Order: sequence, then C-alpha cells, then structure tokens
Amino acid sequence: MDNFASLFDGFRIALSFQHVIIMVAGVLLGILVGVLPGLGAPNGVSLLLPLTFSMDPVSAIILLTSMYWGALFGGSTTSILFNIPGEPSSVATTFDGYPMAKQGRATEALTLAFLSAGFGALVGVLVITILSTWVATFAMQFSSPEYLAVYFLAFASFIGLGGTSPFKTIVSMGLGFGFATVGMDTISGGLRLTFGFSELLSGISFLIAVIGLFGIGELMLTMEEGLRFDGVRAKVSPRDVVKTIRHLPRYWVALLRSSAIGVWMGITPGGPTAASFMSYGLAKRVSRRPERFGQGEPEGVVSPEAADHAAGSSAILPMLALGVPGSATAAVMMGGLMIWGLNPGPMLFVERPDFVWGLIASMYLGNIVAVIVVLMTVPLFASILRIPFSIIGPIIVVVCFIGAYTVGSREFDLWLVLGFGLMGYMFKKLEYPIAPLVLAMVLGDKAEDAFRQSMIMSKGSLSIFWSNGLVSTLIALALVLLFWPVLGILVRRMLPVRSSSAFGQGTVPKS
Amino acid sequence: MLMRSTAEIGTALITAGLGIAAMVGALEFGIGWSSSGPGPGAFPFYMGLLVACASLVNLAQAMIGRCRLQEAFLNGEQALRVAAFMGPVILFVIATLLLGMYVAAALYLTLTMWLQGGYRLMLSALTGIGAAAFFYVVLEYLFQVPLPKGPLEAAFGLY
Repeated sequence: MDNFASLFDGFRIALSFQHVIIMVAGVLLGILVGVLPGLGAPNGVSLLLPLTFSMDPVSAIILLTSMYWGALFGGSTTSILFNIPGEPSSVATTFDGYPMAKQGRATEALTLAFLSAGFGALVGVLVITILSTWVATFAMQFSSPEYLAVYFLAFASFIGLGGTSPFKTIVSMGLGFGFATVGMDTISGGLRLTFGFSELLSGISFLIAVIGLFGIGELMLTMEEGLRFDGVRAKVSPRDVVKTIRHLPRYWVALLRSSAIGVWMGITPGGPTAASFMSYGLAKRVSRRPERFGQGEPEGVVSPEAADHAAGSSAILPMLALGVPGSATAAVMMGGLMIWGLNPGPMLFVERPDFVWGLIASMYLGNIVAVIVVLMTVPLFASILRIPFSIIGPIIVVVCFIGAYTVGSREFDLWLVLGFGLMGYMFKKLEYPIAPLVLAMVLGDKAEDAFRQSMIMSKGSLSIFWSNGLVSTLIALALVLLFWPVLGILVRRMLPVRSSSAFGQGTVPKS
Repeated sequence: MLMRSTAEIGTALITAGLGIAAMVGALEFGIGWSSSGPGPGAFPFYMGLLVACASLVNLAQAMIGRCRLQEAFLNGEQALRVAAFMGPVILFVIATLLLGMYVAAALYLTLTMWLQGGYRLMLSALTGIGAAAFFYVVLEYLFQVPLPKGPLEAAFGLY
C-alpha cells in the first residue's frame, strides 16, 4: 500500500530527537491545560498557536497535536480523581471513573482510561492512514459548489444531530460566519461590518473568540459554582498498572465498538463529546449487567474514553483531506495551518506530503508518548489541582489575556476577549452550542469564497447546487441531516411505536 | 434572582440585534448582483438574516415556554461570585492598558490572592511578582513575543 510507504517516510520525519522532545513538551502542556478548569483543548491550542508562527510547520503541528492528546488525557484524569471533567468530552468518564476511584481503584480506573483512550486514538489514526489518500483523491474532483455543499453538510449535521435546540445552533453558526466577515473583504477590498471602529479593520481573529468563549466563559461558570476540589488521593503503583494492562483484552468488544463510534463521530462533525456519551449509552444498553453502570463498572470507563479519543484523532482526517474540521480543536488547528501558509484540503497531500505524513506518523508516536507520560505524571498533575482556586484562577486569567495579546498585538483584542467571555458564559448556561461558532469563524472566508465562486460559475442561479451527481448527493445528504429531527418524528408517526426511542438514557450529547 | 426565561429572552434579543446589525451593515456594500458576482454584502446579509430569524424563533420559544422556564438562571450568591471574579478581571484589563501587562498581572495576582484568597500580603506579593517575572522571561526572551509595557518598564529602560 502506498499509504504505508508514505507513512514510513513520515516516521522518518517525526522520529527525530527534536520532534520527540516537542511531543513530550506538547503532551505535558496539554495535560496541564486539560487538568485545569477553564483551559480546555481548543483554548490551549489557541493560546499556544501564536507562539508557533515562527516555527517550521511540521514541528508546530506536532506540538499542537501532542498538546491536544495531552489535553484529552488530562481531562480524563480530573474526571476520575475529582469528579470534575476537565473537558466536556470526558463528562461520561465521571459516571463510572469517579466511583471506581472512591472505591480505592483509582489506579485501575486511570490505567484503563489511558489505555483505552490510547487504543481509541490509534484506531482513529489507523483509519486516517488508510482513508486519507482516498478521501483526498476523491476531494480533488471538488470545485466551489462541492466545497460549499461539504460545508453545508458539516453545519447541517450540527443542526440536525446536535441534540440541542436547532435554532440555537443556527444562531451560533450564523454569528460565527458574521464575525468572520468583519474587516477587509478579500475579493472587493472593501471594509465590511466595522461600523466605524478602526480596531475592527483587521477583523476578529477566531483565536480571540476561542480564548474568550472557552477560557473566560468557562472560568465564569467555574467561579459561579463556587468550585471545590475534593479529590481522591492517587498513587499510581506500577504493580496495579501491569495487572490492569493484563486485564485490558477482556474489554476488546467494548474497545472495538467504542472506537468505531468514535471514528464515525469524529469524521462526521459529531465531535468527541457526542461520541463519548453515545458510546457510554450503548455500552450500558448492551451490557449484561447494566445496573452496575454508574457504580464503578470498568466498561463504563473504557467505552467513553476509547470513543472520545477515537473521535478526537479521526477529526483530523476531514480537516486534512477536505479542509473541514470535525471538532472545535481541529478547527483551531486548521486555522493555524492557514496562518502558517498551508492550504488544508486535498492539495496539501500533493504539495506538502512531508507535512501530512509527518503529522500522521507523529499522531501514532504522540499517543504512545502521551500514554506513558500521563501514567508517570498523574500524581504531579493531581497535586496541581490541590492548589487553591483563588491562585490558579487568576493565573489562568492572566495566561488567557497574554495569549489573546500575542495573537495580533492589539489592545482592542483584550476587550473582545471579555466580550466573548460573557457570550460564552451565557451561551453555555443557555445551551447554545459553541463549536459551530468556532467552526464558522474558521471556515468563514473559505465558505464565502466558495459561495461567491459558485454564484459566478452559475451566473447567480442556485441550480448549480444540483448540477451534477456529486454536488446533488452532498446537498441531499445535508438536507436529510438538517431535517433529521423532523424526519424522525414523521417516521415515528407513520410506524406505530414499539420501542419508545432509538437511544437509551445518557446518550444525549451536551455542548 | 434572574429567571431562566428572562435570560433566554434577553439573549435572543441580543443575538437578533447582532443579526440585524450585520444586515444593516451589509446593505451598505450591495447585496445584489455586481459585475464580479454577488455583492460583498450578500454573504453577511444572508447570515445576519439567518441569525435574526433563528433568534426570533428562540424568542418565541422562550415566551411560549415561559412557565416551563421558571427555574433560577442565577441566584444572588452566584451573581456575587461571578461579579467578584469578573470585577478584578476588568480592572486587570484596564491596568494592562495603563501600566503594561506585567505590572498589571503582578498587581492582579497579588491583590486577588491577598483580598479574595485570604493569604498573607507577603506571600501574595511574592507569588504575583514571581509569576509576572516568569512570564517576562518566557515571553520576552524564550519566545521573543513582546507584551504591552508601561511606565515601570520604561523607568528600567527595558524597551
């Protein structure tokens, strides 16, 4: 297979001493942001991104993706030890992880979580390795209308399958596109939606939005709840780790099932959060002893973790091959690629194979490094959470604002962060999803260009969106996803109901 | 106490306002057909329209479901905690613009630790200044990213 030959070249790039050091550093930083409330993966990557502008793109992406893996692992650590999900996608891990830790099985829970997460991630990367060239070749046939259709498909699946109010998703998405159009218009050169503010001439960076929405917004929520960390003391004893590793193959069905769910949800923009909830729900439904779920059932840790990480890593596939990110963090990374002067999408495989395959190879290595590092550093990071929040909170605030300033050295951005923070707080409390906003801000220019070029091609007629088989299929698929909730109701009306709902409890994805 | 329904209605009104603002702003640039395809205002206009319409649906849903949404959105104690957090953050931003980011960070960390965390002033000041010095070394030397500086740095001739 060609892909594996390319992958081998990738390993030669990724396996340099410098890159392995970057991986370890990225994973450590990632665990730190994953552990700290208010600093999740999307926010952490946004904060680090401005510091990578001067790095070579391969090293930069290895740093950012390693940070992403670290953040996902860090999120699971706090879920298990503190019952506080460091990431929205590790909420489902608290259901059984924390009870296990309270029963004195913290090592077992952590080891299971990390190993199944690593397994899920490797499945995700394997899928990327196998499918990426194929998807990229397929996407070579795309021109503007097809791209617009793919973007439409991505947002339609958010709206139709998001689990929250579809109209709130539309508001969030539309605002994102609106923010993206602020400032200089690349085609006409005009200044749009600046309302006379000279500070808005250069536009609103998606990084500022992410730092505000995810960073300050999340901190406000944390403060409001008056958070206290009552953690379970964790000592990771090597004996228990080895014992748990030997028990892992017992859960092979759960591992494979959850990874499959995760890969699917990662490639379609369902995201890791939805994947972990769905996987947990399904594990409970098919289990022979569903009553033990929620009381420290190991499978309740394995399932959401494997799905979470499989989704997290496979979200990189559509980002690389199509230029459509599958999660908020992937969206931020894609924005980074564009800032480094790379053009995510099928041409990237032709123009910069070293970058693509170096990245994919680093995903294998990065996850293995992450599992090892996280197992060794659990006690260290758990002790960080014992530092009172009146110290940690303000330090996170300072880091967020420093990060915001480094994006473009604009003082106005500091006010924007405050504004977005307030918005993130309200949106989270009122269950407006935030990921569509971030995706829309990153994709805004590309989507608008695709829209304008399609219109020019067709001289203003919308019929271009069903002018050939490919674009019609994409649009039709998008419409099905968009009206999925309505279709569901219709189908249920027509078929007199036997089972009340397709999914059991605990499968409702939040955020 | 702020009710959930009030918060829903308020947010829907604000997002509707943003949508309408985008539409009005976009009209200026032409939303129709121009010599180079759709006018520059077309895309923001229709996005604004979408946001405004969806906000109206959210507004209607919040109005209709008002009795269902009678839970508290924010009670007094929570509001106080959020204000105690955000107040100093806003002061920190103002201080950054006046004094530079490092001095502002040192002050902000010291004062929140001392006044809100209940630590001794000495320990708070040490932590605050130490953190600011750490950021200074990492950003200015390691990454060579300059942050806003104020009169103190100027007095030391640091830039």
